[in-house]
Amino acid sequence: MRSRRFSARQSALFLSLLGLVLLVASRFVDELRTYQGAQVAVYVIAIASIVLLTGYSGQISLGHGAIMALGGYGAALSFTVWNFPFPLAILFGTFVGTVGGFILGVAAARLSGPYLAGSTLALAVGLPTLADQFHILGGEQGLNFDIGDPPHWVAKLGGANFTQYKWFFWITTIIALFTIWSITNLLHSSFGRNWRAGRNNAVAAGLAGINVPRGKVLAFTVSSALASLAGGLFGLLLGLVTPTAFPLSLSFAIVTGAVLAGVGSLAGSILGGVVLVAIPELSGALATHLGGSQKVTANLPGLLMSSLLILVVLFMPDGVRVRKIK
Amino acid sequence: MGLVATAALIVNALPAHAMNLYKQDGVTSSTITLGITSPLTGAAAPGYNKVPYAMQAYFNYVNDNGGVNGRKIKLIIKDDAYNPVLAKSVTNDLVLQNKVLAIVGSLGTAENEATTRFINDHGVPRLFVNTGYSGFADATKYPTTYTVLPSYVMEAKIMGQYLQDNFAGKSVAIIYQDDDFGADALKGFATAGTKFVVKIPYASGSQADPTVVGKWISGLAQAKPDVTIMFGVSSATAAALGGAYKAGFKTQWLLGSVGGDGTTIATVAGPTAVGLLYGAIGASFLPAPTDVSDPYVAQFQAINTQYNAGVAFDNNVLQGMNTAMLTVEALRAAGSNLTRASLLKAIAKSGSTFASAGFAPLGYSATSHVGYNGYWFGTYGPTGAIKPNGGTYTLYTTDSGAGAVVKTTSKRPALPAKGLPNN
Repeated sequence: MRSRRFSARQSALFLSLLGLVLLVASRFVDELRTYQGAQVAVYVIAIASIVLLTGYSGQISLGHGAIMALGGYGAALSFTVWNFPFPLAILFGTFVGTVGGFILGVAAARLSGPYLAGSTLALAVGLPTLADQFHILGGEQGLNFDIGDPPHWVAKLGGANFTQYKWFFWITTIIALFTIWSITNLLHSSFGRNWRAGRNNAVAAGLAGINVPRGKVLAFTVSSALASLAGGLFGLLLGLVTPTAFPLSLSFAIVTGAVLAGVGSLAGSILGGVVLVAIPELSGALATHLGGSQKVTANLPGLLMSSLLILVVLFMPDGVRVRKIK
Repeated sequence: MGLVATAALIVNALPAHAMNLYKQDGVTSSTITLGITSPLTGAAAPGYNKVPYAMQAYFNYVNDNGGVNGRKIKLIIKDDAYNPVLAKSVTNDLVLQNKVLAIVGSLGTAENEATTRFINDHGVPRLFVNTGYSGFADATKYPTTYTVLPSYVMEAKIMGQYLQDNFAGKSVAIIYQDDDFGADALKGFATAGTKFVVKIPYASGSQADPTVVGKWISGLAQAKPDVTIMFGVSSATAAALGGAYKAGFKTQWLLGSVGGDGTTIATVAGPTAVGLLYGAIGASFLPAPTDVSDPYVAQFQAINTQYNAGVAFDNNVLQGMNTAMLTVEALRAAGSNLTRASLLKAIAKSGSTFASAGFAPLGYSATSHVGYNGYWFGTYGPTGAIKPNGGTYTLYTTDSGAGAVVKTTSKRPALPAKGLPNN
């Protein structure tokens, strides 16, 4: 606990203040930006799942998009078919993804490096398309997850013109900040220390009495819980879940976000989330400015993202984060 | 204080903008701004990526001839890579940032479904959506959406009737995409009373796997159908025809309209694949893109040569220009006091009289948002060009419910002079 800069109570206070500022700010910001803000919040949770897994426990996953799909489908299914209220639906989605992550984690603990990357990659390719095969999952058209208008008391609190997108922004921001706070505390507990010990030297950690494989399974499970929570919120923003909503590129995007953030930094995940949302926006503006052809416009986001990734890996291998939380 | 710095970054990234009520977006005294989302990249792009540019070419042609009530049309094209997440975010951009008056010709079932709530909340007209999913015709659920393509249910019902008229007593098989696309088709065939000796479903995308295609053909070879219906996308049609040719399996192919465009088949499977179409029967609601005797086709081809240089004229281009022409007529019908509300009202009031290349009538009214409702049948020649059976376009029309299939000789409105709407 000595290495921490803030106590749990201090950081809770700080994150609550930050949340309050953002919620108040949302009153003065237009709808497009609030939607993008909500997207940032969802990406922050997804990136945090990779930061926890890779940065702290030393495991690699290229398949977290599939775990997000589990969360999204779990939430949408319980909401649409079983009529769960939406907060419960999001929790149920998280539960489904956590169970899936646990099973995967047991297998993952036996694999490492390229083998683990390869098997999780296969999951990202295969799992979302499986939804096509089951009628209850809505096929290619997917499942509806439209939670409707904000409740009256929220709309009143939010002020005039409180649209669905602002409601989404509130939900996702509060959950993202709470998640960051909980994970920060978890990483500074004995669990976090054991994960780091296992990551740095598995043999030494084992000799010190730490059960490294169990730690790895636990880290994969917690990471999957985060990813599936992000998946449920992702479906919420979209208003539906479909197999094409969770493509392979989503898995890559969140790993990219984590690398940009510096895989050891939770605060950096906020920056990673902003970058993931900002790049397509910037490239759109740039393409318009250049008066580019169809090919330029379509491929510019990918080019910008990969250039940024290469530059970060070359010049800032610890990520673009502002300061590392030790 | 890493968190503070990053928080400051977020807040800076979210500049404040004044609120607006969106109602009058997209129209100035000299311009009309419209938007479209379509796959320009990714697996679904070949063929479909030509549609928005064909629309733009037609709008530019209209602009050079005076525009609509003195206003020039600007079309903003956004790539959604056939991904509903992207479709939603680029539609947000179109409506909230580019402030378009309406979305026209947006493609894909899930892609349009993902933006529905937002489109409805903001009262944005979504005109002539490029999908045959029958659900979008529901005017209560989708109050600002107008469909244009006949639904897959209609297409299957009409195919069923065509089989009864021309292949009575013959055995029939079907290969179909195992999702809503195929489910709609099976529903239509069931209504038409079509019986199959074998039904072969395939998962979207699996047509790229030669062993999957091999299974289709061995399934067909066992059942020995006289007629085989192919109800899938172009790449699946190319795979089925190629697989059958290699295995020496012969049947009378009947191709659904989605997968039967010669130029798209050439794009996805190479130019030699076009020859495989020879002798197959296909369905369409637009004239054949190769039929230069058709005044609409001739006019659109001329516009394509001048305004869309270097792009091969095919069904996609034809459909894009036709959608653009309908859009111009809708804009004209709304009058010079153009708003989202007046645009929607104009289509409900006079949309059924709009001139267009389609042979089937348009079903727009105060209560119906259904576009075309019929198909004609033709046979493919060795170059992949389709010619109507019997030399004339004989039309079958129906609805997406239990209504009868009617054989008609529907008369479409004549092409306005120089292809410039004068309604």
